[in-house]
Amino acid sequence: MDNTECTYKQGPLPGCAPLGLAAMPSQASSQPAYSNAEALSRGTLFPGLDLPFMNIVNKMPAKTTPLRELMALDFVCNELALYLDTHSADTEAFETYKAMLKLYEEGRNTYASTYGPLQRSDMAYAPDFNWLGDPWPWDFAKEG
Amino acid sequence: MFMYQKKLQYPVRIKNPNPMLAKVIISQYGGPDGELGASLRYLTQRYSMPYPELKGLLTDIGTEELGHLEMIGAIVHQLTRNMTIEQVKAGGFADYFVDHTAGVYPVAASGAPFNAVCLAVKGDVIADLTEDMGAEQKARVTYDNILRLSDDPDVNDVIRFLREREVVHYQRFGEALRIASEKLDQKNVYAVNPAFDK
Repeated sequence: MDNTECTYKQGPLPGCAPLGLAAMPSQASSQPAYSNAEALSRGTLFPGLDLPFMNIVNKMPAKTTPLRELMALDFVCNELALYLDTHSADTEAFETYKAMLKLYEEGRNTYASTYGPLQRSDMAYAPDFNWLGDPWPWDFAKEG
Repeated sequence: MFMYQKKLQYPVRIKNPNPMLAKVIISQYGGPDGELGASLRYLTQRYSMPYPELKGLLTDIGTEELGHLEMIGAIVHQLTRNMTIEQVKAGGFADYFVDHTAGVYPVAASGAPFNAVCLAVKGDVIADLTEDMGAEQKARVTYDNILRLSDDPDVNDVIRFLREREVVHYQRFGEALRIASEKLDQKNVYAVNPAFDK
């Protein structure tokens, strides 16, 4: 179906759909997409799904941290995983997903070697059992 | 099985105690449209789902909701951290405080403890996915209402993130319903329940 008229805030509907059933337009593409940092701040990778209450959006922090960058990478991986669950034939999105997973894996290894493990397997080469190190995720931290 | 990641999905850093706000936000921990109900709803509905897309999506969104439960727990913990007994009384927090002190316990804002009635597992593909779409909308509205009640920018930053996740999940459940409907009898999508009738 021709959907060239649709803007990125809209999605195409099929010409025929069963009656008596809720019909959601399927997201046509994983593009356009926000940068990793902006996606995390806004809570979605996809501008078309970014529909904030009272049109107030989170400001990006003036300076980032290694943990926030890692969260952003992991967040984009998660967002693409949910997209792929309903778009498993989208090979372009899958290639992006694989590239992001590799970046996350590398980023997590680097982070863990400096700040301590994020998951137990990160301790494979740790000098001691550093799982118990502060801070725990729910603890208040001035920065992070 | 599940593996823990020792980080939140999104940073929670709340400087000032505010038991009044904690008392409304706890509803997203143990209330009817909260994250505990959401995670258990999706992770429990999975078992009767007949199609891989639905098994995958419910697993992945259910897992993300567990991360949101942890974020809500972190918000409530940080809002009640270092609060004084005067703040407990002034914030209307005494009735929660007497039972749970500054611990995090799954209750609705009204004080009703978590109730599995809100899980809603029907064992029918269309009914369960339609329920999930409604559940995401109800959680979205709860976050809208929290944003109306809160003037703490540290809190609102996290709530806006969580609220937007509901919009994305709603879209994915809608797409899942579309995928499921395409596998059903196009002349009558209600002819059978593919989660039961073989």
